[in-house]
Amino acid sequence: MYVKLFLARSSVKGALLASLVLATPMACLADTNSEKLGMLRTIRPNNDTDVKAASSAVKQLSESSSIDLIDVLKSMKGASPLGKNWLLGLANTLHRKSPETTKDALRAFLTDASQDPEARYTVFRWLTDGDAELKAKMLDGMLQDSSPELRFEAVAKVLNSSETLETGVLQTLLEASRHPEQIVAIIGRLGKQGVTVNQSEHFGFLDTWKLIGPFDNVGSRSFDKEYAVETDYADGKSLAGSYNGKSGAVQWVTETTADAEGVVDLAKVFNNEKGCIVYGVATVELPADLDCEIRVGCINAQKVWVNGKLVIANEVYHTGMQIDQYAAPVKLRAGTNQILIKVCQNEQKEAWAQRYVFQARLCDSTGKAIATK
Amino acid sequence: MRSLLYSFLAISLSAPLGIGLCVADDWKQFRGPGALGASAGSRLPEQFDGASLKNVAWKTAIPGRSVGGAIVVGEQVITTTGDGMDQRRIRLLSYDAKTGKQRWEQQLVARGRPYCHPTSANAAPTPASDGERVYAFFSSNDLACVDLQGNLVWYRSLATDFPKAGNDVGMSSSPVVADGVVIVQVECQGDSFAIGINSTDGTTAWLIERPRKANWSSPTMVKMPSGKSGVILQSSGDLVAVSPSDGKAMWKMEMGCSTTPSAVADGNRLIVPSGGLTVLDLSSAGAPSQLWKENKLNPNACSPVVSSDKVYVVNRTVLVCGDAFTGKVLWQLRIPDAKQIWSSPVIAGNRLYLFSMEGACFVVDISGEEGKIVETNQLGDEVLGSPAVVGNAMYVRGATTLWKIASE
Repeated sequence: MYVKLFLARSSVKGALLASLVLATPMACLADTNSEKLGMLRTIRPNNDTDVKAASSAVKQLSESSSIDLIDVLKSMKGASPLGKNWLLGLANTLHRKSPETTKDALRAFLTDASQDPEARYTVFRWLTDGDAELKAKMLDGMLQDSSPELRFEAVAKVLNSSETLETGVLQTLLEASRHPEQIVAIIGRLGKQGVTVNQSEHFGFLDTWKLIGPFDNVGSRSFDKEYAVETDYADGKSLAGSYNGKSGAVQWVTETTADAEGVVDLAKVFNNEKGCIVYGVATVELPADLDCEIRVGCINAQKVWVNGKLVIANEVYHTGMQIDQYAAPVKLRAGTNQILIKVCQNEQKEAWAQRYVFQARLCDSTGKAIATK
Repeated sequence: MRSLLYSFLAISLSAPLGIGLCVADDWKQFRGPGALGASAGSRLPEQFDGASLKNVAWKTAIPGRSVGGAIVVGEQVITTTGDGMDQRRIRLLSYDAKTGKQRWEQQLVARGRPYCHPTSANAAPTPASDGERVYAFFSSNDLACVDLQGNLVWYRSLATDFPKAGNDVGMSSSPVVADGVVIVQVECQGDSFAIGINSTDGTTAWLIERPRKANWSSPTMVKMPSGKSGVILQSSGDLVAVSPSDGKAMWKMEMGCSTTPSAVADGNRLIVPSGGLTVLDLSSAGAPSQLWKENKLNPNACSPVVSSDKVYVVNRTVLVCGDAFTGKVLWQLRIPDAKQIWSSPVIAGNRLYLFSMEGACFVVDISGEEGKIVETNQLGDEVLGSPAVVGNAMYVRGATTLWKIASE
């Protein structure tokens, strides 16, 4: 209708009027699009109202002639993880409609490290899909990329390129890599070249723990039971004394693990006790306040507190364990920081259900170990 | 015309009453129409080979890893994969059934835990479709709905909604869809539930608590005596039928069921992996009565398959055939050289196709009084998902490859 109006009027006045009329609905559309993108960015978990609105918004935006793919990608920055997936799904739809026309803009977006890492990795995939040569070329400059996925691919590309990489190359990869499997592989290959890397130190595993137990967990009933160790810890009391354990008084013992993956073997320390709970305390000294992550691997049910705050809790027994299995952001402070872990063992009799182990480390948000003592 | 003939044959020969049996040419969920794993009118090649491509119509490499099956909706073969770092990139992919050429892709990022045993994969469940949309579920408890052009319709992160849901061995329960509701069963040591999600907009239709024990079995759709749809949920402690529209229990039985193979509804008989196999009578209202139980028919990982009044189970590397009406064991057949079998078998005509994890396909003649392996074919890729059979073609989702097997 607006186009028809424009064509019908030949006077300057008419053209100006038509331009205004044209501009206004486009601006409105842009505002509407912006509102919808904003809603998708902040969609709340477990909220049907939001899900319904998001479903409607995605449909309308997918069909909109005024939506810009780059705007959608940019809107992923700062969005919630949930919101990012809605936006990513929309972006995929828009990209499929015009895969060729936006390549220059996509390249510019990819090189802008300030944009959302997941959005940038998605763009990387679009641009390199089916073009191995271009993919390899692009990855050459991405060893230090802020996107964990791009960095992972860049490390993998070099690591998988040859079985006989030079020591210097492997050391560069080790410095760049943040993914546990890659790190372990690189350290293994360095070891074959006679270069020893302290793997536990590289990851930042907490290797020295004060342990106390066993406390009763028969019937797996004590995951949420607050033994005196917990209440004393919460009250800021000293944890140096003895406590009433499962079969009498128990006292703290110090255990330092030499395991390359920082694994503390509670079955070994506590004589394969079953139906029990053991607490562990590690202390970390820091020169200044620090935002970081605590990452735990544990085959048993566990809770973790950092400086008195519960940060991890998983009542799960014998369903797998790996480095960085559970992670939580934490604020450490200048001076002494205390980490308390509660590890619960059940009474399963299967051979694969006898492990009673955990590992824990402190690192930055990318997975790089933080300096502690 | 030919497809109509297949439809007629598939319906009349196997007489299933399961839900989703609209067009026999489609294989829209785990184990296909009625979840029977059978296509009576199909004729597949007995010989095929992944290396020489004999009777391979096409194959396509798929990045990442999957242990779920593919589905076939119209001219599209649709599958999922998880790739990239920790298999966090979850992808839905569609291929042209005739050419194998990719039609579309949708890609999201796992918001739940993608970790699993190396044997499994984040893309473990088989997707489902109602012919209008596709519903893809992942071990990480991400649930995505796309239309048949791959456009995102809605998305749910059940791991965000229920943070304690998950199992680091890997989850694998496949979704089903009926009466406009997608049903997903999530059972583990943490948050355990079955949820019905409205298929058009992703909102929650209902939610029920389930036992907090690990469970990998999938819901099964049945037709109740009233004509209404029912969803069978099994666990190590119960067997329950719920209404797909509101999640209300139609009946519940306290019984220990297997937590890997899933139940099969064959007409008015419900075949449940429980104490071997337990067969229940669904012909009357209320909780069903037991028709028979046979512990020698013991499916340890693969779901049972039913065809021509016989039921077939795989116990480790032994194929066992029983009478579907009495439970009497009719014959047993050891599958030689198969180390592990996870893929639920399928039946086409009088041939049963059984894949080992190593990618060997054993073609078993089931027409006689004894089962007989007539061919052993190698694909050269791990196969853990159950194949889809449509017309005279079989679509096999290997861990890294999608194959169309059809006569040249």
